[in-house]
This record gives sequence, C-alpha cells and structure tokens, in this order.
Amino acid sequence: MSAVPRTSFLSRYPELGTAPIPVRPYLSNDYYAAEVEKIFKRDWLCVGRVEEIPKPGDFKVKRLEFAHTSVILIRAKEGSINAFHNVCRHRGNKVITETGGDETTGNKKAAVMSCRFHGWVYSAKGELLQVPHENKFPPCFNKSENGLVPIHVDVWEGFICINLAQRPSRTLPEFLGGLSEHLGGYPFHTMTHVHTYYAHINCNWKIGMDAFSEAYHVPTIHAGSFPGLTDYWQDDCELYGEHRSIAFYSRDMNPPTPVGTAANNIFGASIALKRSEPFQLPKTVNPQRHKNWGFEQTTMFPNFLIHVAEGLWFTHQFWPVAQNKCLWEGKYYTRKPLTNSERWAQHYAVILQRNAWLEDTATMEDTQDALLSGAVQEIHLQDDEIMLRHAFHIINARVEGA
Amino acid sequence: MSITLPTEFAELQPFAERWARATEYERAAERRGCTSAQLRSFYDVAIKHLPQILARVDRHPLNEIQGEDLHLFRIALSLAEIAPHVEFYDCDPHVPFAFREDRMLGFHSGRAD
Repeated sequence: MSAVPRTSFLSRYPELGTAPIPVRPYLSNDYYAAEVEKIFKRDWLCVGRVEEIPKPGDFKVKRLEFAHTSVILIRAKEGSINAFHNVCRHRGNKVITETGGDETTGNKKAAVMSCRFHGWVYSAKGELLQVPHENKFPPCFNKSENGLVPIHVDVWEGFICINLAQRPSRTLPEFLGGLSEHLGGYPFHTMTHVHTYYAHINCNWKIGMDAFSEAYHVPTIHAGSFPGLTDYWQDDCELYGEHRSIAFYSRDMNPPTPVGTAANNIFGASIALKRSEPFQLPKTVNPQRHKNWGFEQTTMFPNFLIHVAEGLWFTHQFWPVAQNKCLWEGKYYTRKPLTNSERWAQHYAVILQRNAWLEDTATMEDTQDALLSGAVQEIHLQDDEIMLRHAFHIINARVEGA
Repeated sequence: MSITLPTEFAELQPFAERWARATEYERAAERRGCTSAQLRSFYDVAIKHLPQILARVDRHPLNEIQGEDLHLFRIALSLAEIAPHVEFYDCDPHVPFAFREDRMLGFHSGRAD
C-alpha cells in the first residue's frame, strides 16, 4: 500500500518488541487507579487554549473527574493565566459554580472571584481579598495564608497545560522534549475558529486513544464519510520520549460531489478534500513536502492527540473517569471565516468530520464490552499501529514503576 | 412564526419550516426524523439554489445576516448537514455504523451555527 517501500517502524524501535499486548490495562480497576496516581496526577495535561480566555477576568473551569477536582483557569489583569483548585478556603464550596458541567466558561468583572456561599472574594492571582465579618474569625485565621490552592500551569504554543503534582518532577518544556520542536511554529494561533464535540463513552480512555492513533481503520470504518481515503500509507514515525508522532498520506481525496465541491471551492477545510491555500509547515512535518501528505497525528502523552494539516487542525482528548468510562472531546479548528459563504463552506467540512468521528466512536463501547468477556487475553498490533504499542510500553512502565 | 422566503426562492418554500433551523443540533435532529425520500427531495431543490443563496448572504457582513436571507442561510446549512447522507450514505437519514448521534454533543463557543 505504501508508495515508497520503507523499513518497518518496529525495526527502528526494537525496544518495543513485536509481541501481542495484554488486555488487562483496559479492564483492571487497579491498573486504572495506578494510571491516575502515577501518570495523570504527576504529568502535564493540556486543559485548554489561550484563545478561550483572551481578556482579563475570563475564566474556564475544567472538571477533572479522575482527580475529583475542578480546575479554575483565569486570566489576571496583567495578562498571566493562573490555575487553582475550585475550592473555597472557608468551608470548601466551589468558588465558581460549574453550570456548564465538564466545562464552564465566563468572565469575572474586575478579575475577582466571589464564592456564592458566604461571599469570600479572591483575586485572579488567588489572593483572598475579602472575608465578610472577618473580625469574627479567631486570631489564628490569616487571610494572607488562605488564598486559593494553586496548580502549576504553563503554556506551550497556546495550549494551556497544568500539572496537579505539588512539585512537578519536570517543567513543561522538559516534559515536552523533542515534541515541542516538532510541532513548534505550526500556526495554531491563526486558526482559532473552533467546533467542539464531546461525549461520555463507556470505555477505558485508552480504547479511545487507540482508535484515533492509527490509520489502519480508515478504509473500513470511514468507508462512509471518507470513501476517497482508502489508498493510504503512514510514514514519518518519530517517538519523542513518552510522546509520539506519525503522518498520514493518501493517494486520493473524496470523489467530487455537488455540495462537497461547492464547499471546497470556497474554502478547503476538510482532510478528505484538497486544500489550495499555500501553507507553511514546520520542517519536520511532511519533511519531503510530499503532495500526497494528508496530516500529522501527534500524541502529547498521556491523553491528547493533535492532528495538524494544511489550513486546519484538530484534537482529540480522552479523560479517564473510571476503568470503563471516559470523556471524549473533539475539537476542529480553521481560520476564522471572512464571509458568510466561507462560514458555510467550513461548516460542510466540520459536518463531514463530525460524521467521521461518529464512525470512530462507534467501535469504542463494543471493544470495551467484548474485551470484558475475557474471551481474549491479548491483542495483536501491526507495524502501522506502532503508536498503540508505544503507548502501551510507556504507560505500563509507569504503572509498574514506583 | 411562519417563515417566508423571497419570491425567487418559492421552490424552497415548502422546505422552509423544517430546514430554516438556527443550530446544528436542530438541523441534525430534523435530518434524523426524515425519510430517505424527504432528504432526497430537499437536496435536489436546495442544491439548485445554493449558488444564489451564497451570493446573497455574502452581501451581509459576517454573522450579521438579516431577515429572509437568514432563513436562506440556515437552509444552506441544512443542505451541508444532509449532503453526506445523499452524496455518500445512500440517503440513509442516520450516519451508518455510527455512535449514537444524540450522545455526541456539540458546543461551538455559544455560536448558533
């Protein structure tokens, strides 16, 4: 299927082996608990984009079910983005009520947050500014020691990342390593018109990650929405510590159709249709500048997939909720439309991608259910599924480690 | 409130009540409630008028379409919603072999598109 014969990915990474992968990591409650403690509570996690909270006082509250917490991300007056546990220092009420469920966004006037319960007021830097009837608290209570509990936060290429550890073992740049250079310079910030989808799926978070981490499924799963992408190949696989990246190439695009062509002639915003606007990619993405290159799919360990293409990019994120439950978020980004017809054309591309994601997510609960039967103890991965194999090795080493 | 289209789009008038919907969520729900024949007949009429609709909406600033043209724009968005079903899924009103559609929710920064 490949245009140019290449050596196998696995021969470049012999440490990954070729053996089948056990199914226990998808099913075991103990394994899940270890992932939460040893990975999700220790590593950097992407929780948003800077464009979501552009102005002072803008906030986003992100529920993190696995940690039984919700995180306030808020932009302070001087522009910095700060992160706190959403817990009032008085009696522990949520300072910002989560009216939006998994994500709540809004703006706090004057960049201060006021707890609804008794009116304690905090600055966007977390300082406790006001306590009604402060003089009735005993002398041992000190306002300056009772700011919001901070969470480590840093930004890379506009992605807001947090680390729940009290003392992260690595900075965000150290954590990202070579990944930072690989995707660094991709103009994420110029394509901020976002369509967001989400679903609560009854499967392990890794079942979801796996389904989006290979292109082997494209001819079968996407026969409906991407009939033109069946003659594909994968290349440019690189492992960056815990992170990984691989490219998708396709000989053809979707066949011309009246609406598809009308949309694409106005604005090419689909991975299944040609994009015409000239586009500058980072030098390690499509390094040969091959005309059949479709997109790069990069995993920021542990749970974030970034797909970059020419003129569009999209992400998937799977948040663990239980060993057999996760929250999926899919976000599709283009540049802002300039005209109403561009808005229409982009919408067509998004609808087609949404339908492809419905095709992707269709398998996830079935896979979880079927593995639960116990009928099989291991799964088999081919060379193009190296991203899954790498993920297993990295996660397993962490779970089994100290 | 009844939806009235400009006279030159009279052919689309029978489809206006169903398809001039403000949000993707509503348009997708309408699509799932249709028969294959209903999708096909809407598609066949709407595709003829698509170029004129897009030309008209571009006379308005982005996201500021008013009046009858807003109805037309929403009908064009409905055409985008059903296009894969007519062009790729053999007029199946649902996405074939898919996750249950009403369990996947959209949230587009509060935009009504």
